[in-house]
Amino acid sequence: MFPLFLDAAWKVLLAAVVLGAGLPALFAVGVRSFALAGAGSGPLTDDDGRAIAVSAPTSGGSTGLRILGVVCVVLVLAAVAVGLTVIIAGGFGKAVSFENVFPMIVDK
Amino acid sequence: MEPLVLFILVVVVALGFDFTNGFHDTANAMATSIATGALKPKVAVTLSAILNLVGAFLSVEVALTVTNAVVKIQDSSGAPDPALLTDGGSGLLLIVLAGLAGGIVWNLLTWLLGLPSSSSHALFGGLIGATIAGLGFAGVNWAGDGSKLDGVLGKVILPGLMSPVVAGVVAAIGTWLVFRIIGRLLGPATERGFRIGQIGSASLVSLAHGTNDAQKTMGVITLALIAAGFWNDTESVPLWVKLACALAISLGTYLGGWRIIRTVGKGLVEISTPQGMAAEASSAAVILASSHLGFALSTTHVATGSILGSGVGRPGATVRWRVAARMLIAWCITLPAAALVGALMWGIGHLIGGMAGGIAVVLVLLAFAVFMFWRSRRSAVGAHNVNDKWDDTPARPQPANV
Repeated sequence: MFPLFLDAAWKVLLAAVVLGAGLPALFAVGVRSFALAGAGSGPLTDDDGRAIAVSAPTSGGSTGLRILGVVCVVLVLAAVAVGLTVIIAGGFGKAVSFENVFPMIVDK
Repeated sequence: MEPLVLFILVVVVALGFDFTNGFHDTANAMATSIATGALKPKVAVTLSAILNLVGAFLSVEVALTVTNAVVKIQDSSGAPDPALLTDGGSGLLLIVLAGLAGGIVWNLLTWLLGLPSSSSHALFGGLIGATIAGLGFAGVNWAGDGSKLDGVLGKVILPGLMSPVVAGVVAAIGTWLVFRIIGRLLGPATERGFRIGQIGSASLVSLAHGTNDAQKTMGVITLALIAAGFWNDTESVPLWVKLACALAISLGTYLGGWRIIRTVGKGLVEISTPQGMAAEASSAAVILASSHLGFALSTTHVATGSILGSGVGRPGATVRWRVAARMLIAWCITLPAAALVGALMWGIGHLIGGMAGGIAVVLVLLAFAVFMFWRSRRSAVGAHNVNDKWDDTPARPQPANV
């Protein structure tokens, strides 16, 4: 029982660290990029309303930041879509297989 | 006549359990969004209720063997144990009825105390107690046959110990990373983004909750249908059962277990939007990863573990360990306490016997429920005061300041 348990537990931990901590981090990179890209249009303030000294990005830099932000958000959304598929497929007696790296719906 | 009456009582009590399951667990998905103000309290519970309803319908797979995890009253196909059907199914129906009643009593008591305990542990505990009382210790599936994670040990105790720790570790890492990445940009410029992230991740948790938890009640009611001889298909659940269970859990969620939402959202950690997002993302990931890997766990343990983790992961954040300790104690005694009530309920039903026994169990349950509801009115917690400042001195929800 215990070897089985440890085997399942570390798999859950590994998957959850990658998805549950990695995705919020990626999302934060996206949010940060958008915030910095927007710094050109007005001063940034921190939680207490104090101004943060961030040099406004050049227009090229601003576009780059926005693209980075979009890429991060799209990646997060794609992961959420896979998560939804796992929930829904599970309900219909199917499972999502990651054997071919790309997720595929298979019979349970 | 007797099995019919017992069957009707089982259905009513099972839906009642599903309803308590709903409001007991609203906090798991929505407490952080309510605490950070990402969603207005009423909007949050409405969103969660809708997602639970959708989730309940998404699960078309038959969860008929749900009791097999802990007790031996069904075979592996889901059919009731024939030895329990010799009296027209009354023996099995009384065990299920008493078990459900035990689960409800514990759910209501922990709600009254504002403690987020696991509804699945309460249900399993009640069933275990009623089974021990009715069939003896041999009727309980303690550890399966050892070939896979099964039984009380493999499906309840071990995951119960592990899941809050895993969720807490993941949320702590996530929170730490998010605050490192955002640095001094934390504030108005990033608040909106994190709110969206928080609402999105909380919605995933609600949906996963609906698919997992409503199924358990559907399985129990279908088992009762088969035992009473009204249904004989172990491959599907009648539509009315699915509809009733989906509505019961969703209504419960909509009602909102405000006392528990308050503890989880305000009591454990003073939570900020990025922390809330990291906590819900961790919960969603742990729930989905483990259900994908066939690992049973409680949404409540995961969600509260995540919130604690988000407090540990943010440098300088306060975690109220006293509240956490109270919660931990509640987790440890949920299973045995619900088992004790389940066993007592079975005793009452068995002593009186037959139809009258079943009715007596339900009357005792009702008396408990009314008492606890009346007691809760003394310090009502609702959408209006759920976010009031947490006062540490008495470690329970404060009276409304109205």
